[in-house]
Amino acid sequence: MQSMNKTGKTFHVQPFTVERGKIKEFAMAIGDDNPIYYDVEKAKEQGFRDIPIPPTFPTVMEMWSGLDFETLIRELDLDPLMVLHGEQEYEYLEDICAGDEITCTAKVISHVEKRRMTFITIENLFSRDGKIVLIARSNIIERNQ
Amino acid sequence: MSELEIIQKESITHTQLVRYAGASGDFNPIHTVVPIGEKAGLGGVIAHGMLIMGMAGEALTKWFPRQNIRAFKVRFSAMTRPGEKLSIEGHIDEEKTVNGEERLAGKVFVKNENGEVKLKGQFEVKKS
Repeated sequence: MQSMNKTGKTFHVQPFTVERGKIKEFAMAIGDDNPIYYDVEKAKEQGFRDIPIPPTFPTVMEMWSGLDFETLIRELDLDPLMVLHGEQEYEYLEDICAGDEITCTAKVISHVEKRRMTFITIENLFSRDGKIVLIARSNIIERNQ
Repeated sequence: MSELEIIQKESITHTQLVRYAGASGDFNPIHTVVPIGEKAGLGGVIAHGMLIMGMAGEALTKWFPRQNIRAFKVRFSAMTRPGEKLSIEGHIDEEKTVNGEERLAGKVFVKNENGEVKLKGQFEVKKS
């Protein structure tokens, strides 16, 4: 079954430009009323260059730059009805703000089958001007029949 | 150990899941289409795990300045359905030094009104 293992697989991901409107839409969907996501002056008072991203906004940068649910299902050969999100991790190295152009490099770093379940971990390195500014790791679980 | 202020959220609605799907770009239909949630054996739609983590992230940035957040890791432990009312709890466990920076490390929990834990997480923030 070694040939079935997806470890090392990479994905084709487009650059993503962070926009104020998308940050506001995302914060509103969560119900997060922190003024730094809505008012650039409030963001600047807290030391930001522009409106900063919320802590879980990298999911937007993944989904809207090509690493969306349908792509993952297809590329990883998963049953969409059986997929759950197990764990999620972020390391924040530098601020990311509206106006930033971010590129993402996504790779499967672990693929384990155990107890009729599939565990896949994808690591995404987000860069701005060639420097890594954020690291994300997503663990997804497929329940097998 | 130092407790952090509990953040209370409004009840989750199906509309909120549709809104979060559009905002995040996660259009997995188990979050928005009831017959597909039923077909998946979930008894209806369930909230995106990332929406629940987003609420935990909201709490983190109410407890600490946004600029100080350094690391945030969660494990999803139970599904959330429309109608559930969630709250976010957290506490600081310890101080540590990472790459010469003084940090606070702690844990965050999202629970429903019956105390069912939806998410357990850990965080590190720069000490201000």
